[in-house]
Amino acid sequence: MAAWDLSVTVEDLGPDTPPVTLSVTSDLHVGGVILKLVEKTQIKRDWSDHALWWEQKQRWLLRTAWTLEKYGIHADARLVFMPQHKPLKLGLPNGITLRLRACFSNPVFQTVIGICRMLNIRHPEELSLLRPLEEKKKKKDKDSTVEIYDLTEVPLSSVSRPCLYNGMPAHFADSPQMEAIYKMLSVTQPPPAPEVIAKQYRPASVVDKAHINGRWLDSSRCLMQQGIQENDKLWLRFKYFAFYDIEPKYDVVRLTQLYEQARWAILLEDIDCTEEEMMLFGALQYHISKVSQSEPQLLSSSAAMDDLESALQSLEVKMEGESSSASEIVMVELSRVTVCFRPKRLTLKGYKQYWFKFQDTSISYFKSKEESIGEPIQQINLKGCEVAPDVNMAAQKFLIRLLIPAPEGMNEVYLRCENEQQYAQWMAACRLASKGKSLADSSYQSEIQSIHSFLAMQKTNSGSHGNAAASDESINTHSLVSPRYHKKYKAKQLTPRILDAYQNVAQFSLTEAVMRFLQIWQALPDFGLSYVVVRFKGSRKDEVLGIAPNRLIRIDLGVGDVVKTWRYNNMKQWNVNWDIKQMAIEFEGNVNIAFSCVTADCKIVHEFIGGYIFMSTRSREKSDTLNEELFHKLTGGHEAL
Amino acid sequence: IINNHYEEIDAPSAEEDSDKEDQDLDKMFGAWLGELDKLTQSLDDGRPEQSPQQKAPLRQETNMANFSYRFSIYNINEALNQGENVDLDALMADLCSIEQELSTINTKPNSAGGMARLGLTDTKVHTHTHACTQISHSYLDRETSLILRNIAGKPTHLLTKEEQAAKLKAENIRVALEKIKEAQVKKLVIRVHLSDESSKTMMVDERQTVRQVLDSLLEKSHCGYSPDWSLVETINELQMERIFEDHENLVENLLNWTRDSQNRLMFTERIEKYALFKNPQNYLLGRKETCEMAERNKEALLEECFGGSSVSVPEMEGVLWLKEDGKKSWKKRYFLLRASGIYYVPKGKAKASRDLVCFLQLDHVNVYHGQDYKSKYKAPTDYCMVLKHPQIQKKSQYIKYLCCDDVRTLQQWINSIRIAKYGKQLYINFQEAMRRTEAAYDWSSLSSSSIKSGSSSSSLPESQSNHSSQSDSGVSEMTSAGHTRSQSVVSSIFSDAWRRGTQGEGRMPVPLCAGGGGSGG
Repeated sequence: MAAWDLSVTVEDLGPDTPPVTLSVTSDLHVGGVILKLVEKTQIKRDWSDHALWWEQKQRWLLRTAWTLEKYGIHADARLVFMPQHKPLKLGLPNGITLRLRACFSNPVFQTVIGICRMLNIRHPEELSLLRPLEEKKKKKDKDSTVEIYDLTEVPLSSVSRPCLYNGMPAHFADSPQMEAIYKMLSVTQPPPAPEVIAKQYRPASVVDKAHINGRWLDSSRCLMQQGIQENDKLWLRFKYFAFYDIEPKYDVVRLTQLYEQARWAILLEDIDCTEEEMMLFGALQYHISKVSQSEPQLLSSSAAMDDLESALQSLEVKMEGESSSASEIVMVELSRVTVCFRPKRLTLKGYKQYWFKFQDTSISYFKSKEESIGEPIQQINLKGCEVAPDVNMAAQKFLIRLLIPAPEGMNEVYLRCENEQQYAQWMAACRLASKGKSLADSSYQSEIQSIHSFLAMQKTNSGSHGNAAASDESINTHSLVSPRYHKKYKAKQLTPRILDAYQNVAQFSLTEAVMRFLQIWQALPDFGLSYVVVRFKGSRKDEVLGIAPNRLIRIDLGVGDVVKTWRYNNMKQWNVNWDIKQMAIEFEGNVNIAFSCVTADCKIVHEFIGGYIFMSTRSREKSDTLNEELFHKLTGGHEAL
Repeated sequence: IINNHYEEIDAPSAEEDSDKEDQDLDKMFGAWLGELDKLTQSLDDGRPEQSPQQKAPLRQETNMANFSYRFSIYNINEALNQGENVDLDALMADLCSIEQELSTINTKPNSAGGMARLGLTDTKVHTHTHACTQISHSYLDRETSLILRNIAGKPTHLLTKEEQAAKLKAENIRVALEKIKEAQVKKLVIRVHLSDESSKTMMVDERQTVRQVLDSLLEKSHCGYSPDWSLVETINELQMERIFEDHENLVENLLNWTRDSQNRLMFTERIEKYALFKNPQNYLLGRKETCEMAERNKEALLEECFGGSSVSVPEMEGVLWLKEDGKKSWKKRYFLLRASGIYYVPKGKAKASRDLVCFLQLDHVNVYHGQDYKSKYKAPTDYCMVLKHPQIQKKSQYIKYLCCDDVRTLQQWINSIRIAKYGKQLYINFQEAMRRTEAAYDWSSLSSSSIKSGSSSSSLPESQSNHSSQSDSGVSEMTSAGHTRSQSVVSSIFSDAWRRGTQGEGRMPVPLCAGGGGSGG
């Protein structure tokens, strides 16, 4: 067989080095080409990660047993010999950028699996990569270069099998620097400065939201084929909003990143919520940032408490609380407030001073201290009542509003405290009592503390504006809500609202708070919807298709309403016509829909639908093994072999 | 709550002396009180090391008994008025079981003795708190608790003798505490009304859930198991009712009633209790019209909604009538249900989330079914729901009345609110109710004596296997059975509106065919 010259560029020799020319025959297999090439370069190193890339055809020659003839390679082919794993800049949901080595030769689905394994994120099938938004080139911002955390030194072999060491993958335990990076992955970031939130891109409409979905990479093709170069920047995000088998013990990084993605979705109004919900999200963010500073290890601690042990401890706590007869002391302390039963019509403004006693879950009041040994004027049990703050630090107004249920309706009672100290104690006592707990409860002191720290926040907000260091006790409340509320409320107006919501979450542990945040996020009506602008067959205008974990919805752009819902459960089959970029879906009962995709490639829409059907096939028994083949079967489609 | 009622109940007896009937009843049922006193006393006498401080909690127990007895007056009173016989026999049986419970404490020398050794008698007792928490708090010396903390999680065989002893000690104490708690538990005499106008008197434990009370009622009344059996609270004064959820604590709910309450507790079959799970497609899909669905698809739908880590609230929205505060007029508003509460769209605004006004949050309110409000409150229709705090028993501006155009909308709203409020718990309740029903069907072929002995399951291998294999198809069978059962007026209107067509078996296709179309290969 005739020999001919094949020229191969060896990337490692640098861009200026001319290609290496090899004399080959058509029946030489790819492995042989590589062997010849390596011999000719005379460089001794580990070439095992290297492979040949065929530039014109945009494909890797990964089957080393195939001959050049089988691949259809002739003398005009431009081949590049280069590593399959290359450095990539990866933007995480928490805003941090990593530099790590990712696979450029396997389908993106596998690339993501590799990345997630390195970062210790379970269920990589829920995540994917997308091209980032172009950052606006503002000359002014040039000095604020983003710090990049380097993970390229992680040996690829060590990543193949995740082996935990000190609760983190072994490759993170190598050095303090690596450990610091792992901490960054697994601990929530402090609330961003309000200016940072305001500066970020915010989608203003459903169509804006639809555009982001055009950026997802194709899971069935490799990075090289999609024009991604070494050191390019990509975003790693949760793409499928069907989170399977979340286990806080093992999912430290996964939960943290999921929380960060959810938090940003709320802050940037990527998902709509009501004002009440926004305040609750704000309160949870505040709590999470506070708790993660004080107990950062809790999320990763895996020591499960023995049942008996926990029972004993809780008893013990009770014991400590009571044996020091805290209830007695507190009772004396909590004795001087002024009170006013809100008059039916607000004619009287004055508050009348009484001697108050807090006992268990009840308050009783007397004309004076001297009479406090006798019968009270009234005793009110606070169990089950609603407690709301009405505080203005500047005006030194410390009101506690109590809504106490009674057979006749709710009694509204205002307690006015004289100072911050008294307010914090009484407020804490009221909150505990409303939950049926007495002052002797172990959480009493921490409750007082959290009220103080929240009041401190209001103080700093009214003083210097916003430049609080992130690690500081005080957080600008504008950091906790979307820019809409920056305009609507001043920070000090916002504080009591968030404080109001905060009282229901203040007792959560870090994990509980994060889980609660995710739960509320998942309960929002628009949760899990990914939008694409489409043109339905026979329709003359653009409409929006919303893709959810369990259904497709059709949104009329004019009205903004959902006009139709189709559920995957009723789906019989779907087809993609790649030539005219149209998707046709058949549902039970002879329902057929067809549409072409406007803002995203129809492969992306196809992958979303197939991906969600794949997600629903996961079951508890086989949670360990990922059925990759099925994923590709459901999402691949047009990949010609 | 307790303290509140406590005051209320103890004090007024002097004021209301004029109420002669009340006094008579006092006398009549003083005997009961005596019984309870004796029973609690037996706990006293049985203990060898008795300290004076321990009398205090027992006194309170007596008061609780007093309270329960007081509480039951209304029911008894009513029974007398109706000329019925009070089921004293049944009550005595309940009382006997308490006595037995109490005496078991004394027969365990191990536990009672151990407690004394650990300095239980040094416990300072306050009269204001529950006896059980008081006793529990200082039973471990610091040393022991330190040891226990250190050995947490260690396998038993690695423990030193000392540590093992400490663990054993703790275990013994825990058992003893449980016993004591048991003894301090409140019992309440309640009267349950049946749909045939008869009634039953029974004693319930303050810790019992509605499910447990239902089970014991079902066992006593031999009326056949069905998941539809419900305990319904009817508030006559407000003309509303609510089906208690199975996981709720019954006594806690009943304590919200006032002394002179005309409220009733009904034991009856209500098809709407679990209709949500029998035909989930009518509630969870946000559709305007009823439809049929294959059983397999129903299960898949329920699994989808309730099986995940979070429960999504059905999309409920639409125009409802809202009764204006203090007036008899009703005005229309566009309401939306979200997990965080009920909202409405303010005038002149679109229904964007951020513009919604919060009507109320669901944490503190329950949803009731308002009855005959067309005549009572001039409501546009009789399909009304009420949202109020469970403690409110009389007319109040804090009660919110909403009126729907039809029964279907009403049921969708009520059920969606239940989902928003209770989430997964509701589904767990249903599954539990189904399990009981299936178990009852399994056992129905066996004699009643073997049921009792066999309930520990090991002696009934056959029914066990039946049980598990049935759970797949069981749902469909139960559904149809539920439909044919007797129904109350409300539920029959309801079910007529809902039952349509046949239940055809459909297939559930998972689309495995990915698009291969054009250039596919």
